Amino acid sequence: MRRLPVYLLLDTSGSMSGEPIEAVKNGVQVMISSLRQNPQAIETAFISVITFDSTARQAVPLTDLSSFQVPDIRASGTTAMGEALQLLASCIDREVAQTTTERKGDWKPLVFIMTDGIPTDNWQSGLAAYKQRKTAYTVACAAGNGADSAVLKQVTNNVVRLDTADSHSISKFFAWVTASIGVSSTKIEHSGKELAGLDELPPPPAELNIVV
Amino acid sequence: MGKSFIRELFQAQQIDISNREQLFEAFVQEEENLHRVKQILENQQFLMDRWQLKSRLADIQQQTVVIPNATMGKIYEARLDFQQLNWTDFTTFTITGLDAVGLQFDSATSVISGTPTQNGDWRIKLSYRLQGESEETPLHEKLVPLIINPDPRSLWKNISSDSTAPFWREDNVATSAVLGDKRLVVASRRGRSHANTGGFRDDDFAFRHFPDTGWTVLAVSDGAGSAPLAREGARMACAHIVAYFEQHFTNAALAPFDTLLAEHAANPSEKTEKQLTRFVYDQLGKAAFTTHKKIAEFAHSQQVPVKDFHATLIFALLKKYPCGYVIMSFGVGDCPIGLLNKDLSAITLMNRLDVGEFGGGTRFITMPEIFKSDTFATRFGFKLVPDFSYLMLMTDGIYDPKFEVEANLEKVSAWKALLADLGGDNKENAIVELDTYPPAVAQQLSDWMDFWSPGNHDDRTLMIIS
Repeated sequence: MRRLPVYLLLDTSGSMSGEPIEAVKNGVQVMISSLRQNPQAIETAFISVITFDSTARQAVPLTDLSSFQVPDIRASGTTAMGEALQLLASCIDREVAQTTTERKGDWKPLVFIMTDGIPTDNWQSGLAAYKQRKTAYTVACAAGNGADSAVLKQVTNNVVRLDTADSHSISKFFAWVTASIGVSSTKIEHSGKELAGLDELPPPPAELNIVV
Repeated sequence: MGKSFIRELFQAQQIDISNREQLFEAFVQEEENLHRVKQILENQQFLMDRWQLKSRLADIQQQTVVIPNATMGKIYEARLDFQQLNWTDFTTFTITGLDAVGLQFDSATSVISGTPTQNGDWRIKLSYRLQGESEETPLHEKLVPLIINPDPRSLWKNISSDSTAPFWREDNVATSAVLGDKRLVVASRRGRSHANTGGFRDDDFAFRHFPDTGWTVLAVSDGAGSAPLAREGARMACAHIVAYFEQHFTNAALAPFDTLLAEHAANPSEKTEKQLTRFVYDQLGKAAFTTHKKIAEFAHSQQVPVKDFHATLIFALLKKYPCGYVIMSFGVGDCPIGLLNKDLSAITLMNRLDVGEFGGGTRFITMPEIFKSDTFATRFGFKLVPDFSYLMLMTDGIYDPKFEVEANLEKVSAWKALLADLGGDNKENAIVELDTYPPAVAQQLSDWMDFWSPGNHDDRTLMIIS
């Protein structure tokens, strides 16, 4: 079966502590519960969570929705986004099956990045590694004033901004991510095609501004 | 004991006893004072024990306990490993909340088991008591999440398509027929992804046996998922093909072909081979192009873009001659036509599939460019065989789950597996009695085609000639 891999890259630096990190955890929880009710998503979507603060780690390897358990996420340290992109690249290499003449590989992965700050590491090499991997689309979310959407624009064209990183805005972001994964899994099931960009995703809520 | 405690106490309080040693000796002998020391020590121990217990309880409350997720209707078993959980100091342990979801906990084996009856994000209550706590102590409680997934099958809705909509097609159809000395069974089912939204079946088929000439025409089409009127595109593609051959494959028109074939059978040469290929190219090419034109004209008359009718098309012509069976074919798109020889030792793929490098690289009969492409000539097939066991035409709704990749279509083992599957080698125990061919065979095929394959919920059409 062709899986639809979804990578969530979540900023867990110190500035996220308190309300934002709780909102992120809750957002992931609600997202998983809701996707489990979607017949296409529960069969095809596989989710991985990569968190990054002073270092990056894969908190949950690529896991099917039925088995997925929300990881315990805590906020501390700086913002090693470059390391997270590097890790994403190696996870894609390891976890996403390529199509061969003998078997159909997985669908191209969807990537959602959320950060409230700017990278504190030397992130260009991570960016270069990420750029060499194929994704169906990558959406980056700049949460609050501390995030620099110009930095995220170097990662992907699809950048959205939350004016404040409060629990209401963050929950809206995750609701939209949920809808986007749902639409993507339905689309590949229905027409055998992957989505390519923001314009094919559900319209974002009012809290989410598209950065052009 | 008492003496040193009091000495340390006085020292800590900077009470000087250096010149009152005798008095101090007497003081520490007094029953009352020794008793007080004992009480203090006991109280200290009590506070320490109590703190340790509270701290242990807080640890347990904070501890993340991971219970693997369950799925509705699927046998579940998960063991709580008390060693690994560091719960060896538990004296009493029970779980409540499992009964309500169809599960039980066996305290002898520490196993949660059963078949879940309710899906959802549940919280089960663990009640426990720790070593050192008396029997009267109320049990401590901890809530632990337990996720029970819905049965994926139950999430698919089966909404009937709107029968009053233009170009409505019945959701599921199946039929069987006798074609000279061969038999046909065909079924076409709306996929779950369409049923889930009340969408239409976009697959279609048509066939006709002409007793006057002995020819049979077989057609299968798969409407494009992205084309809003694909169902009508698929229907028209099949219907026009049948109509074309009804009109053009007359005995008179085919007299030169019959002569050529007899010559080829008696004395096959490069020349007769070429002439036959030419005939197939001309006749089937014209049929395909006529079909394309008719759909385009219809789209024009309806003032809708022809791409709204995008559909793939495979068709085959079959006739028994004294020298054997003639099978000619044409295909555009990703639906295969397979011809299995009499003893099931070889498979001939009658058409080249249009499978792009990326999914969705398929071609449609509704695309004018296919007729101009230099690969057009590769869309035809011709075979003269003494006999065959099966000729199958299918859409990708069958091909994807049963063959997965194009390369497997070339393997006779994959086709044998499909035949075994049709014969009942499947989880659903669905059997299609192709050998005995009972009146219910069409319904059997339709029922078999309802098979469950995660991620494969497209419309399914399978036509079998045997």
